[in-house]
Amino acid sequence: MKLEVKDITYSIDSKLIVDGVSLGIEEGMFVGLLGPNGCGKSTLLKNIYKVYKPDSGAVYIDGKNVAELSSKDTAHEMSVMQQENNVEFDMVVYDMVMLGRFSHQKMFNNDKRKEKKIVMDAIKEVGLEGYEQRSFLSLSGGEKQRTLVARALVQQAPLIILDEPTNHLDIGYQYQIMNILKRQNLTVFSSIHDLNVAACYCDRIVFMKKGHLIDVGTPEEMFVPEKIFNLFGVNTQIMTNSVTGKPNIIFLPEL
Amino acid sequence: MSNMKISFFPLQKRSHYLIFCAIMVGVMLLSFVMATRLGSVELKFDVIKRVLANKITGRTVYPSTWEESTESILWSIRVPRILTAFIVGAGLTLCGILMQALTKNPLADPYVLGISQGASAGAVSVIMYGYLSFLGGYGTMVGAFLGAVISIILALRIATIRNKVTATQLVLAGIAVSAFFGAITNFMIYHTKTGSDKVKTATYWMMGSLNGASWDKLKYASIAFVICLLMILALTRNLDVLLLGDDVAVTVGVDTDKLKLIIIAVATLLTGVIVSVSGTIGFVGLTIPHITRSIVGTKHSRLIPASVLVGGTFLVVADIISRVIVAPEELPIGVVSAFFGAPFFLYLIRRSHGKFGG
Repeated sequence: MKLEVKDITYSIDSKLIVDGVSLGIEEGMFVGLLGPNGCGKSTLLKNIYKVYKPDSGAVYIDGKNVAELSSKDTAHEMSVMQQENNVEFDMVVYDMVMLGRFSHQKMFNNDKRKEKKIVMDAIKEVGLEGYEQRSFLSLSGGEKQRTLVARALVQQAPLIILDEPTNHLDIGYQYQIMNILKRQNLTVFSSIHDLNVAACYCDRIVFMKKGHLIDVGTPEEMFVPEKIFNLFGVNTQIMTNSVTGKPNIIFLPEL
Repeated sequence: MSNMKISFFPLQKRSHYLIFCAIMVGVMLLSFVMATRLGSVELKFDVIKRVLANKITGRTVYPSTWEESTESILWSIRVPRILTAFIVGAGLTLCGILMQALTKNPLADPYVLGISQGASAGAVSVIMYGYLSFLGGYGTMVGAFLGAVISIILALRIATIRNKVTATQLVLAGIAVSAFFGAITNFMIYHTKTGSDKVKTATYWMMGSLNGASWDKLKYASIAFVICLLMILALTRNLDVLLLGDDVAVTVGVDTDKLKLIIIAVATLLTGVIVSVSGTIGFVGLTIPHITRSIVGTKHSRLIPASVLVGGTFLVVADIISRVIVAPEELPIGVVSAFFGAPFFLYLIRRSHGKFGG
């Protein structure tokens, strides 16, 4: 198992948000975490990437308990991409991406040429060539998100956690970012809102509701009308996308 | 429309940055020269040069043709005062940068957060009641440091809601904390009542003044400043990452708990030391980092050396103004810095409203 979550519980103001969640992710898998707003997705992920400390339970990467790893060692094992948050201080794209190299750099004696190459390669990978000296705050939403993807990539960790990576992005950018992530040889665990995006990219789908994991399976197993209705309360019709061969979810709201 | 957003500022090239720093060193030296010359007694450059040459080399390079009083004005009053002004300005700037990285908010600075007032209450209490007298000359500094620690904890507790410090919360917390510690200081002054020297020194603490500068105090302040500066220069990359938010800092590998503890320790220590030599001088830590940031960018490895230069120089110039503008009287330097700083503070509040609004 690349990532193993064992019996995580977490509460905020004595309200249980994550209630005994366990799951395992094998190396190389692209796993999507789905559930209604407020079901605890983001809280679960924050427990995994150490922004929150679980009340009980533990997280293991390659069998190592992350709570016992130093901040730098954790950063070598797992990178994280979050929603773009409001930054008050501006910096150029190149510097922003370079911050992802933090855990690899020493105070002195850094191989500057190598560091530069890694950063430039990542900027190229996300299609932001020529943007190196642009100010981050002047970028569009999609460009900002891609910058953050590049920052996560230069961390060179085999596991990447995505906390609502494509929220607020229009559909073109959503697919673009998922494509970039899919072509990396990484183990990915991502919360996703759009069911069709999830169906298209994920090897495994995890359903979460009210702090519990309720079901896990392949997109074909999970995207069936009963399960989707149970999770989101919306009727659907499932087709097969003739191009991708993946399930295509058509919503049938009561009008 | 965002396609043409490559502008000259902030300076990108290393050579441009170094040129800027060189220019600032020039301005700094110029301000030193002007500051030795101007004041209630104007001195001639020629005399200044000779006295300094004798004093610095410790020998009689030039035979003494000037009055004793000239020498003592220059060497015992002006020179330590100028250097103190520089250290105070540089130190306040550094504190401002640290508070801003800690709160991720460009409005943060020791004065706005009420930490200067806390330090000054601590210093005044030591002077009034003398309870740290066993520490000798360090008593006031320790008192100021303790005041700073208490006020920073209070200010951050009030300003932080769900791990975020918004501009509004920050300003409100600062008002509350500085009002509280201002009241304590006033109470102590009234309580002691007599028109004694103690009350005079206490009032000067609240206004900010470099009147009491001496070689002795300068020595303590510069040692503390240099130690703090070196510690922080070793952490510049940590500070860069911290600006992106605690969550992000954790995920790229920063030990945020440890880092914040170091920042708070350094910022309070430095604020305590500075306030104990100069009283509360406002807005330096707010305006200088902001202006310098727009010129050299956000990266702390560049920002800190440049803004320390700018901040030190700014206060030397402000001190000249405070001595010259109502000569032969002297304006407290806090008044001068507030004249520049307060409008700037308003501008920053307006700007941040656009961002936090909605």
